Amino acid sequence: MREPLLTTEKLSNHFGRVCTALDLDLRFEPGVLTSIIGPNGAGKSTLINLLTGHLPVQAGKIRFRGRDITRLPIHKRVRMGICRSFQVVNVFPELTVAQNVMIPVLARTGRAWNPIRRLSRETAVLREAEAILTKVALLAERDTPATALSHGDLRLLEVGVALAAAPTLLFLDEPTAGMNPVERVRLLENIRQLAREGRTTFVVVEHDMDVVFSLSERIIVLHRGEILCDGTPAQVRADAKVREVYLGDDVSDLFRYEEK
Amino acid sequence: MKAETRNAAAAAAVLLALCAVPFLAGKFTIYLAMRIMLLGIFAVGYNLLLGRTGLLSFGHGAFYAAGAYGLGLFGVHVSTHPLLGVAAGVVTAVLLALLVGTLCVRHTEIYFAMLTLACGMMAFSFFWNAREITGGDDGLIGILRAPVSLFGGIKMPIGKDGQFYFFVLFFFVLSVWAVHRIRQSPFGLALAGIRENARRSEFAGVPVRRYRLAVFVLSGAFAGLAGSLEALLESNARPFMAHWTHSAEPVLVSLLGGMSSLAGPLVGGAIFVGMREIVPRSTENWMLWFGIVLLVIILGFRGGVVGTLSALFRKAVAPGEG
Repeated sequence: MREPLLTTEKLSNHFGRVCTALDLDLRFEPGVLTSIIGPNGAGKSTLINLLTGHLPVQAGKIRFRGRDITRLPIHKRVRMGICRSFQVVNVFPELTVAQNVMIPVLARTGRAWNPIRRLSRETAVLREAEAILTKVALLAERDTPATALSHGDLRLLEVGVALAAAPTLLFLDEPTAGMNPVERVRLLENIRQLAREGRTTFVVVEHDMDVVFSLSERIIVLHRGEILCDGTPAQVRADAKVREVYLGDDVSDLFRYEEK
Repeated sequence: MKAETRNAAAAAAVLLALCAVPFLAGKFTIYLAMRIMLLGIFAVGYNLLLGRTGLLSFGHGAFYAAGAYGLGLFGVHVSTHPLLGVAAGVVTAVLLALLVGTLCVRHTEIYFAMLTLACGMMAFSFFWNAREITGGDDGLIGILRAPVSLFGGIKMPIGKDGQFYFFVLFFFVLSVWAVHRIRQSPFGLALAGIRENARRSEFAGVPVRRYRLAVFVLSGAFAGLAGSLEALLESNARPFMAHWTHSAEPVLVSLLGGMSSLAGPLVGGAIFVGMREIVPRSTENWMLWFGIVLLVIILGFRGGVVGTLSALFRKAVAPGEG
């Protein structure tokens, strides 16, 4: 077995009496494009929030490359190589598209502390930002303020900002939510391409079953904070429990997301 | 003309005008110009915190006062050299800002504002009550403007207002230039990122609290600089420099002039000092009139004087785009 990137031991979380994670033991191995699915309230976003430091861990342990990161603040996890995108667009609204992706690049290279040097002189950073914008097909909008972008472009920028931190493990929380089919295909192609390049391991939370089954090598099904099933798309599709609690209302789920 | 060239030309013109003031204007105008520059240093540094990083502090008067008392006490106990005194004032302000900032930057918004207010009030009551050290409600009086002796035995007198004016102008230009560079730097972009979205900044790998503390201390240093210069100008350091009403001045001035530009707080400061001097000649309630002006700006012209004017200017230059 390969050395895992990230592991959890008995990771648990409760909101009041609602359990959103119960004794989760998970491993994420490098290079395996994983999807996390589950009905609403299954604990998908909570899991990402716990792993990336957004929520404090109530019980259990998280290790990244063998190191205990359970109590590490967000920015330190990001520096180690764990990053995420958000379900609701969460960028820097009044800044330009280029500036949006420059912030993670500057932070990563330790240049963000410099108070005297002109930003326009940071050519290496500018070039890297442009390379990232090319990847998410936003180079043409580089000088547009983020607020002026269409929803689809904002979603692309959301992923771009996450990529700019050059993560080794990247969690994408419903990256295609609210996108039209053309944009969705484009973004998924991008993710597939980037996953193939091998520098970043993607873990995707997604509602669209077509996306999940065509994209993933591994699928984790969560239900009320527990792992219902964990395996290849074929295994998950064949699982009786999954069919019962989840895939049964697949169609209605899809419709709900088309409406948004 | 490109916007950058235009701004540089405007800055050069203002600088030239400021250099001409002591030769053309009367004593009172020179004094007013100095007060405007002091408030300008205070506000332009403060606006790194408010306009850039999105943190509203009501306690920067404390650092202003720390600068003034730092210079005054350094003058009494160590040396009356004005440059060393200013340095001592800035260092005092920085140390106090570090202390207060460490306590406050864990919080944001109203909690941050109230914590800074509380710290400012504690500083005020310290300056007011520690009579042995600070002179109590009299303040430190009789602060001297000794000549500035530089390397090689050159002595520049700053005793007269016309001479001291250039001392102030020097620090004013230095401050505005420094803030200008900070606004265009990677650090400045990181601060804007924190204002726009603090949570995302953390996920971009930015240690947000440390950046907040850094800019808090930095703005405290500018406040201390302005305070130490005022101590030299007025020959005293007063506890009311630390009062919350004084802490509110850079806030009002930034709102008045516009928080999003470098020039905003400077223009706001000029209007504020101008109104404070001129309006009371015809009416007793100058604050009422200032309040009305502020009301109009906040309700109708969110970008402040500078923001509104530059929007109008852009419209005039490129009418089609509006």
